[in-house]
Amino acid sequence: MTTTNLDGPDLAALAALTRDYAAFQSRKSGLATALGGLLAVLLVIAALSPNFMGAQVLDHLFIEYLVWVPFLWLVLKGVFGRALYRGLGTVKASPDGAYERQRWFWILGLALFLITVLLAALYAFASGFLQANQPRAALFPPPMWILLMPLLYLLPMPWVIRGIEEARAYAVLVGQCILWLIPLFLFSFGPPAPPLKTGWGLFGNVTGIGLLVLIYLVLIWGALAMVRGWKEHREYLTLLRALPREA
Amino acid sequence: MNKSGTSPKAILDLDRMVHEPARLAILTVLASAEEVAFLFLQRVTGMSKGNLSSHTQKLEAAGYLETVKAFQGRIPVTSFRITEDGRTALRAYHQQLRALLPREGKP
Repeated sequence: MTTTNLDGPDLAALAALTRDYAAFQSRKSGLATALGGLLAVLLVIAALSPNFMGAQVLDHLFIEYLVWVPFLWLVLKGVFGRALYRGLGTVKASPDGAYERQRWFWILGLALFLITVLLAALYAFASGFLQANQPRAALFPPPMWILLMPLLYLLPMPWVIRGIEEARAYAVLVGQCILWLIPLFLFSFGPPAPPLKTGWGLFGNVTGIGLLVLIYLVLIWGALAMVRGWKEHREYLTLLRALPREA
Repeated sequence: MNKSGTSPKAILDLDRMVHEPARLAILTVLASAEEVAFLFLQRVTGMSKGNLSSHTQKLEAAGYLETVKAFQGRIPVTSFRITEDGRTALRAYHQQLRALLPREGKP
C-alpha cells in the first residue's frame, strides 16, 4: 500500500483524523480494553475469595458462571465498539502488514495454547483417567461441558479479535479461566490427591510461587489496561472535538 | 520562466480535478483509509451533503474514487474508496506542488 505525503498542515490534520478514527474501528478498543482489565482484576479477586472452588450460586458452581466471562467481554466489546466508536459511520483502516502479522502471532499463540489444553483434556478423558472416577456428589452437574470450553474460546477468535490489545485482554481472561478449569476437572473427576511424598512439598512451593507471580502479573496488566483504555477513550473524545462543526 | 525558475505552464498543468480544495480534502481523507463512510467524510471535511455528493460524483466520473453501497440492517450506507488512479493523481499533485513552491529562504 502506498502512502501519500501531505503538504499543508490542514491536509495533514485531515489525514491524521481519518487514521485515528479508523484505528478505533480496527486496532484500538478504548473502554473495552479498560473493561478487559477490570474483569481480569475481578476474576483474580474472585479466585482469591475463600472457598472459591466449592462456592455455589443457584445450584451451580460459582466457577461455572465465571468461565463465561471472556464471552461476556467479547459481547460488551462489540456493544462498546458500535455504541461509542462508530457514531460517524464505518471507516476501514488501510492495511498494515506488520500489524496484521503481530495480531495473527497473538491469535495463533493463544489458539495453540487452547488446542493443547483441549487435547490434554480429551486424552485424560479417553485414557480413562477421568472416566474411572465418578463425579463427586458435591459437584453438579458433572462438568462434562467444560471439556469443550477451550474449543468455545477458540472459535470466535479470528473474527472478533481485531487488535493486539484485544488479543492480550482475551488471552488474559481465557488464561485465567483455563487455569481454574484444570483443577475443576481433577477435583470433580480425578482420583483423590496422592499423599504427599518427598519432593512434593518443593513442587507445591514452586507451583504456589508460580501462581503468585501470575496473579501479580494479571493485576499489573489489569491496572495498566484500565489506564490505557481510559486514555484511549479520552483520545477519541478529543478526536471528535477536533472535527469541524456540521455544515 | 519567472524569477523563481517556475514555468507558468507548470502551474497550468496542475490537475484541476485534484486542485479544487474540497476535492483535495476528499481525496486526502480517502487516501488515509481503505474505505470511508459518507457521514464521516461529511463531518471531517465540514461540507454539506449536496456539496459533498457533487464533488464525489465528479471524482468518480474522473475515475479517482469508487462508491460502495451497502446495507446495515435496512439502512442504506454509502462509502467511498480511492482508486489507484486517484492515489496516483494525488501523489503527482503533491509532487507538482512541491516543485512549484519556493524553498524556504528562497523567495
